[in-house]
Amino acid sequence: MVPLVYFQLVSAGLFAIGLYGVLARRSAVLIVMSIELMLNAVNINLIAAAAYLEGTGNFRAFDGQIIAIFVITIAAAEVGLGLAIILRMYRNRSTVNVDEIDLMKW
Amino acid sequence: MEFAWLIPVISFAAAPLAWLAGQRVRGRPFLAGAPAIIAITVGFVLFWVALFGFLNVAPDTSGCRVPEETGSLTCEYQRTWFQAGLPQLGNSVTLDWGVLIDPLSLVMVGLVTFVALIVQVYSLGYMRDEPRIGWYYAVHAFFAGAMLTLVLADNFLLLYVAWELVGISSYLLIGFWHERPAAREAAKKAFIVTRIGDVGMLVGILLLWRETGSFSMSEAFAQARLGSITGGAEGMGEGVALAAALLLFLGAMGKSAQFPFHVWLPDAMEGPTPVSALIHAATMVVAGVYLVARAFPIFEAYDGDALLVVAAVGLATSLLAATIALVSVDLKRILAYSTVSHLGLMMLSLGAFGYTAAVFHLLAHGFAKALLFLSAGNVLHQTELQDVRQMGGLAKVMPLTALLFSVGALSLGGVPVLAGFWSKDEILAALAAGRHPIFLALGLVAALLSALYMARALFVTFFGDLKRENRRVHEAPWVMTGPILLLAVLAVGFGFVSFNWPGEFKGFGTFVFFGHGEGFHFNWGLGIASALLAILGFAFAWLVYLKGVVSAERVRNSFGVLFTAAENKFYFDEAYQWVIDRVVLTVSGFLALFDRAVVNDLGVNGPANSVRRLGVMLRLHVTGHLYSYALAMTLGTIGVALFWWLRST
Repeated sequence: MVPLVYFQLVSAGLFAIGLYGVLARRSAVLIVMSIELMLNAVNINLIAAAAYLEGTGNFRAFDGQIIAIFVITIAAAEVGLGLAIILRMYRNRSTVNVDEIDLMKW
Repeated sequence: MEFAWLIPVISFAAAPLAWLAGQRVRGRPFLAGAPAIIAITVGFVLFWVALFGFLNVAPDTSGCRVPEETGSLTCEYQRTWFQAGLPQLGNSVTLDWGVLIDPLSLVMVGLVTFVALIVQVYSLGYMRDEPRIGWYYAVHAFFAGAMLTLVLADNFLLLYVAWELVGISSYLLIGFWHERPAAREAAKKAFIVTRIGDVGMLVGILLLWRETGSFSMSEAFAQARLGSITGGAEGMGEGVALAAALLLFLGAMGKSAQFPFHVWLPDAMEGPTPVSALIHAATMVVAGVYLVARAFPIFEAYDGDALLVVAAVGLATSLLAATIALVSVDLKRILAYSTVSHLGLMMLSLGAFGYTAAVFHLLAHGFAKALLFLSAGNVLHQTELQDVRQMGGLAKVMPLTALLFSVGALSLGGVPVLAGFWSKDEILAALAAGRHPIFLALGLVAALLSALYMARALFVTFFGDLKRENRRVHEAPWVMTGPILLLAVLAVGFGFVSFNWPGEFKGFGTFVFFGHGEGFHFNWGLGIASALLAILGFAFAWLVYLKGVVSAERVRNSFGVLFTAAENKFYFDEAYQWVIDRVVLTVSGFLALFDRAVVNDLGVNGPANSVRRLGVMLRLHVTGHLYSYALAMTLGTIGVALFWWLRST
């Protein structure tokens, strides 16, 4: 059986890639995708923990799976909302480059 | 006598009526004057009712008593004015207002209502063609109401309110012809100069309030007497009594035009002449003398140290003003300086413990001065001249006015058996009894000067050669001369009230007094001396101004510098102007600078500017770029995580 720490390393790597994407990407679409990556990294972590820690007393049955499904649901909604905002943004300003969209000040 | 509160209230009520009536009566002054005249007539009638009621009052009547501090019967009727603070917490202040009826307030009410009535009737003629006559009568009625409130007030706060109302009414009347810049300036000057004294008076009243816990006069007087008797162990301390007396006197100096605040009164001649008569005889200027007489228990406490100041100021004022009156060439200004001089005499008399004499002279002078001003008003109205050098011989065209003016002049000059003689004699007797002989000597000089300038005004205006351009002048109409006749009767005969008469009233000295009453007794030595001085004054003026036996030029030259100085009013106006220009404006400039630089720029705008500058600096971190927010969020999360991790290990 693969040890838990491998799952956690994959999850951390995926999360770091997603974080890098959010911070470094200019395209809003890519940022949304990076956020999805981060969410799924968390999901992997949760599922792995649920599978390995079953019965140790620290977690109750299906806790990890329930939260993971919950995250997937939220992620779906978030993508829908995020893409809709990006679409409106593009309609208004003909760009999705977040460097040019700096309205959120003063 | 509780109805006495009606006397001022009726006049106050007449003021708006007169103003409204004045809106509709072009060319019919009788209608505009009617409310004011009716009101003051009712007041005058009520005065007589009150006087007879007072003379027949039993000492045990409710509200009436004979307080030890004044020694004369006093009736006081009070109502609650207002209550401030919370009674439950024991910090409430209850203020009463009420009327105080004693001989002093009664004679003042009599003087004010009588002179105001005469002046208002006279104004029907004098102000006939004035378009704003409704306003004139409205302020007139208001003025009378304020002055009557002042003399009837039974506490210092109400007195102060009335005091200021008198001030504002005189401001309005002096500046009645506000189209003329001089009238505006004079009104402002009168108001501001008297205000300077009023500030001192207010401080004095507050001092008394702090000391006694109430504004009540009788309370303050009782405390002053208690302190005086016990040597300060109980009641009011010596320092407080002296300070309160001097501060009150500051107010009296402003109102009564005492040196060095006398400068406003001559300028107040810019108002209509009947107003001058009212201000000089009955209202306004006598308020100061009244205040000192009213607060006499405080002045007199602790051997009356404060009264020495009163006497000195009165004497200085009297001599100073008399010399200026002697060289002035404006008829109204001669009379104005004569008023200042006689107010000084009243103060001098009060300062020499001559309470009765001062009040007596106040009344005698009031009648004579109203008479003089109104007859001068006739001259001014008929000739439209003010400068006595352009007059002369007017007795030929205005015989009745000349007669009336001479009665006033002789009375004020102190010629025997006229009212002014008796009152001046009383003052001199008080001076001889109460003060150092030097006061008496200088008082006699003031009396001589008084006779001299009155004689000069009389001879130069009415006798000698009639100027060609004055030939067409006519006597004034009856509505103007009639009221003056009444005044002339009093200016002649008022002195006789001081004699010992049978009946309730007895005599002036046993009616208005401080401490204990004194029947009439004539000081032959002083009486003859002052009579001789008065006659000498008139005779000398007759020689100089009519016969020309002694040349006016030579008299002028022999006095030289003094003459020039008096002609320039001893440079008081210039001195005040210099002080205002150099001192007041410089200090104000510094204060304005302080206000702008420190209070405004540093105090008010300072914090506001700092906040704005801080905001300008702080807003730099709000870039608007998505990645910077995301980075901050990430770093923040890592920071929080680290924090918890470190805490848990």
